[in-house]
Formats: sequence, C-alpha cells, structure tokens
Amino acid sequence: MYGGGNTFEHIKSNGLENEDPEKLAQFEARIERGEKIEPNDWMPQLYRKQLIRMIEQHAHSEIIGALPEGTWITRAPGFKRKLALMAKVQDEVGHAQLLYSAAETLGKSREQMIDDLINGKSKYSNIFNYPAFTWADSCFISWLVDAGAIVNQLANARGSYGPYCRALDRICAEESFHLKYGHHCVIHMATGTEKQREMMQAAINRWWPPMMHFFGPSDKISVHSEILMRWKVKMGSNDDMRNQFLDMYVPKIWELGFTIPDENLRKNEVTGRWEYTEPDWEEFKRVINGDGPCNKERLAVRRTAEERGRWVREALLAPKTEYVAPLA
Amino acid sequence: MASLRCHFYLITYMESLDPRVNRLNLSTTELTSKAPLDQLGTYEVFSQLKEDKPYFHVGPVHAPNCEMAFLFAKEQFSRRQTCTGLFVVETRNIKVSVFTEGEDTVYNYISNPGELANGNTESFELFHLKKRGKQHEYIGTIEASSAEVALSMVKSEFINDKPVYNIWIIKTSDIESSQDEDKIIWDTLPDKKFRDAIAYKAADKIKEFKERQ
Amino acid sequence: MMTNTEALKELIYKMADDQLILGHRNSEWTGFGPLLEEDIAFSSMAQDKVGQSYALYQILNDLGEGDPDTVAFMRNADQFHNSQLVELPNGEYDFSLVRHFLFDTAEAIRFQMLTNCSHEPLAQLANKIKGELRYHTMHADIWIKQLGRATEESVSKLQDSLDRLIPYAIGVFEPSPMEDQIIEDKIFEGEGKLRQQWEEAILVVKSKTPLNLPYFSLVKPV
Repeated sequence: MYGGGNTFEHIKSNGLENEDPEKLAQFEARIERGEKIEPNDWMPQLYRKQLIRMIEQHAHSEIIGALPEGTWITRAPGFKRKLALMAKVQDEVGHAQLLYSAAETLGKSREQMIDDLINGKSKYSNIFNYPAFTWADSCFISWLVDAGAIVNQLANARGSYGPYCRALDRICAEESFHLKYGHHCVIHMATGTEKQREMMQAAINRWWPPMMHFFGPSDKISVHSEILMRWKVKMGSNDDMRNQFLDMYVPKIWELGFTIPDENLRKNEVTGRWEYTEPDWEEFKRVINGDGPCNKERLAVRRTAEERGRWVREALLAPKTEYVAPLA
Repeated sequence: MASLRCHFYLITYMESLDPRVNRLNLSTTELTSKAPLDQLGTYEVFSQLKEDKPYFHVGPVHAPNCEMAFLFAKEQFSRRQTCTGLFVVETRNIKVSVFTEGEDTVYNYISNPGELANGNTESFELFHLKKRGKQHEYIGTIEASSAEVALSMVKSEFINDKPVYNIWIIKTSDIESSQDEDKIIWDTLPDKKFRDAIAYKAADKIKEFKERQ
Repeated sequence: MMTNTEALKELIYKMADDQLILGHRNSEWTGFGPLLEEDIAFSSMAQDKVGQSYALYQILNDLGEGDPDTVAFMRNADQFHNSQLVELPNGEYDFSLVRHFLFDTAEAIRFQMLTNCSHEPLAQLANKIKGELRYHTMHADIWIKQLGRATEESVSKLQDSLDRLIPYAIGVFEPSPMEDQIIEDKIFEGEGKLRQQWEEAILVVKSKTPLNLPYFSLVKPV
C-alpha cells in the first residue's frame, strides 16, 4: 500500500557486462512489447536484484505501516470507524503477505527478508517513522498517505514483472475503500466542531513535511535510473509522482478550508507543475538511516514479534515441510 | 519538528504513544541473537468467486500442512469480495510447463499422444495461463496414467485455440479443498459494507460545508 | 407468548460485552502476530467479534436500550456485563489461542442453540453468523491440535494457559439471575446445557493431544 519505487541506492549500470547480449535483447524487446516477465523467464541479475529490493521495501512498508495505524483501533470513535479501521489495517498486513510472496518468486525467502528488515539492512517507507499522536493523525494517514501510495501503486501496476503486477492488482482492488474511508474521516473532522477542525489542522501541519518526503528525493539530487525506467521497474520520476499527488489532493485539502504549512505551495498555471518549498532532504536522509522518532520502536516491535513468536513457528515446523519458492 | 519526537528515557523499557507497544515491555538494548531461518512449506491457493465461475489461482501461503494452509488461505484470499469455494495444494506438487509468448502456444511443445498405456489412471486437474501477468485458470479434469500423458491427450483440443502461455497440472489427490458444508463460512462477506468504497459518500457534506463558508 | 425483555436484554448484554471486549483484546495482535498469515486470520476473527457485538447492540437498541456507539463506548467499567475471561490482558500467543479455543467453542454452541430463540431477531442473527463461528472453531481446533502435539515447549505453554484459563472459562457459564425466566420463555436453553455441550466439545479436541484437562466438576469457576 505504501509502495515506494524509492530505490535508495546507486545503480551500477555496468552490472550488465556479464549478461548474454542476445538474451538481454530478447528480454528488453519483450518488455517493450508490453509483455510481462514471469518467474521462469531469463532476466538480467540487475533486474532481479532491483526488483527484489523494490518489492521487499514495499512489503516492509506495509507491515510497518500497520503499526501507527493499528494503534488507533482500540480507540477509534464508534463502531463504524472501528470496523473500517480494523479491516484497513488487516488489509495492510495482507498486502505485506502478497508482496513478500511476489518477491519470493525472485529467489529470496520471506524469512531472509524479514531478517533484513529487523537488522536494519532493508528499508521501508520513511513516513512510518513518525507517530500517530491523535485520531486526526490516523485520519491523515488513512486519506493522504494512502493516496500517495495509490499514486505509486497504480503506476507500478503497469510495470513489467508479472507477480508484482498480480499482487498490485489485488492490492488496488482492496485499497479502493481505504482512500474513501480516509477522506470521509477527514471530511467529518473538517465539517465538525471547532475542536475537531483544530485537531485536523494540527495533524496536517505535523504530517505535511513527511508527506513531501514520501515520493523520495527530488529528481535534481536523486540518481536517475534510465535502465530501471526502460525495464519498467520504475514507472515515473519521484518528482512526477509527487506532482501527480499534489495535483490531485491539494485542491481537496484546500476545499475543506484547511491550510497547508508551505506558503510557497501553488500550481504554476503555465507549466502545469506545482511549486513548493524544497523539502529538507537532510532530514529525510537522517530519518531513513535510523534517526527518526519511531525507527527504533518500529524495528523493536518487529523484532519482538519475531522473537516471541519463535516458539510458535518451531511448533509449526514439527514435522518439517520443505520450503519452495512460490510459483507466481 | 519538536512535536514529533518520542522521548526515550534511560530506563529499561521503551516508551511509546502506542499502549500496545508499552504492554510489550520492549528492551531498549539491541536484541542480539539472529533468529534461525524458519521456512514453512509453500502452498498455492485457488478460489472460486461465484458458483458458476471457474477456480482461479490467487496466490501462495506459507504453512506447515494442508489443513493450516486452508485456514490461512481463507483469510488471506477470501476475506473480501465473495467466495463459494477454495482449495490449496502444495507448490511442490504442481507440474509446470514451459512459458511461451506472442502467438506461440505451450501446446506446440507437448508431445502427441502415444499408444494408450495399460497402466492405472488417476485424475489430474488442468490450469491455463491465458495472458502473461494474469492468473492461472481452471480448465478441467483429465483421467490419465501420468501428467505428461494427460497433456498429450488434450493437446488436440487446445492447439488451435488462442495461445496458452503456461500450464499447471495437479494430481487431484494432492488437492485439499473446501467442502460443501464449509460454504457458510463465506455467508456474511456481502454484509460487510464498511469495506466497500461506496459506503463512504461525502459529496453532500462537502457541498454543504462550502455553502456555509 | 410475551418474552420477558429484561431477561432477554440481560442475556444479550452479556454476550455483546463479551464479544466486544474479546474482539478488542484479539485485535491487539494485529501487526504483532507470530506469523504473517496467522496475523491476518486472527485479525479477521477479531473483526468478526466486534461486528457481531455491533449487531447484538443493535438488537438491544431495538429493545429500547441506547444506540450502539453510546452503549458500547460510553458506559463505565462497572456497568459492563462481560465475563472476566475476556478481560484478562493479553500475554503470549498461547494465552490468546487457548482463550480463543475455550471461548469460541462455547460461542459456537451458544449461537447454535440460539437459532431456536423465541426472539426472532436474535434467532436470525444466530443463523446468519454460524458460518463465521464455524471458521473460528475450525481455526481454534486446528491450532490447539497442532501446537498441542508439536514440541515440548508448545505443549507445556498450552498446558499452563489451559490450567490458568479453565476456571475463568467456566465463569462464562454463570447463570443469569433470570435464568429460569430465560429458559421458560424459550429464549435460550440455559447456561447449564451450554456448559455440558461445551465440556464435551473441548474434550473431543483435547483428546487428540497429550494435554490434560481437570475434572470440570472439581473446578471452581472465576
């Protein structure tokens, strides 16, 4: 749900030297024709590696994202919200399962991926390193963070790797109510009492900077990966995705009478692009590398869940079944 | 961003805004041991959305045995939309053909039926991938002495049809399926309206709000 | 025949409160489960419980009680009618699993009995959700059998939780002060009957494992 497309590292394009040029050409032609790559097809090492990283990060984001959202389940105001939130958070965990499974078709086991999450080697969407202070924060996440994720997901669903596309199809179908539910919650706050409006505005003020980080570093400073675009692994530049999001949602925020804490935010009617204060990319780097408000907590929770659940998994392993990568 | 910082005190336990996390009593020290890799088996799941529709592959689950695989599959793959039937099969027990593309159908690579063998036959279930990137779909059951023989028996039926890009063939006896009396577990799915986008109409509210401004 | 609504309401409050509280307890595992697929399954069942309690509060509403949100979320702690079993804070997974097994087995039998309830709306609800409960008991039974036969650690953990929880589980069958009325009005066949069937059901599952259960008649309920 909180799909990145954020590849946080440089791509060594000379990794293609060792690849069979004929096979590579066939592979690229297939992608260009719009055909999907399936698990048994030949693929360059770089493709496999980058896809694993991307899908894995997406999966981690889902399971970690369940934490700030899930915290409000027991405190949700009323049955309708509670049931919807329970369903939504559960969907996130389900999406993690779908995504891990998709990544597994590329040859990395789920347990290895979870290990890498816990030991800090693999990353997840930065936005979840912040805490959900109030119910209004939960509303913001359900509406706008989900909206951001959907922008990414819809783009990636047109990517080249079959299993990832299948997972995303399913995810997008389940997500459709998340966004509507989130928007509904925010509208409720916006059209409510003075206190409700204030709470919502405060949440927007808190979450806007991380939201601007959501789509990854600005194109100006991030590594452009032509190859990933050609291989339909990355479907759009970070700025393009961010711009799409702003175009769709800033007017909706404004129409509810809320302000956004960026006085430079405006749409340039000539270029059609949104202008804004350049987000603090140093802060982004700091948080993603472990120094955010909740990083330690998030990982500690996952680590603990794994530790405390170990006896359960051991009991399930007796007698042992054989691990095999999923087929599709 | 002062308002966003959680405070980590120099006591044994991590403090959080999340009451569930506080109940876990998380240690602030790095938990050391790397858990050994525990690999549960893999099962592919197939579901039927409505009575008259074919079964489709929907994805995998990890589980220690068929029974649990079914349990997990039910929630992971049939908790939304509708469902009238579900089955699971261990991934290892699925025989997979080559992949083709474009105009090339997998049946071009299936051998022609030889002499009918005198051996015992058993039942096999056949699945086709009709488009790369989509899911395998249930086609039918074949009685044959082996999976290979089963495919050659149906080759003539499909070779001139629209291309099939991949085949899965599974021994019926390897499949763990929902029973008729289990169907009621999906009874209340359509009632859970709070999971439908359509339950969240708010255009009127926005309109009214704007008029008040 | 006029049903005594006080007795009926008493029963429904008890059931609804139990489901609401246990649903909450179980939902605390979302995101924290021992295995991804199980996390999903357990959250679904928690959702079912909260949803079922919602339906029960709606029936109460129709009988003259307040609206569900108010009744469920605005009462004071001492105004709740739930059993102690469901309140107990979560421990490790064995605790929640055993509680799930003990409670849901009773729940399924209870609603089965309620399909004959003289109060139409309750009978209808019972009919409707029996599928959900079928899955809940299927889930509990499979897990108890699996963990109850696997490793030394899992068996001993399960045994500890069983020992601890059985007295509380029996507390669920505490007869209402209006029990006779309830039985007479054919609302429900009574806690006694339920308990009997429950004990049989529990024994069937447990007999497939090396776990021990106490003689039920010797247990002092909490």
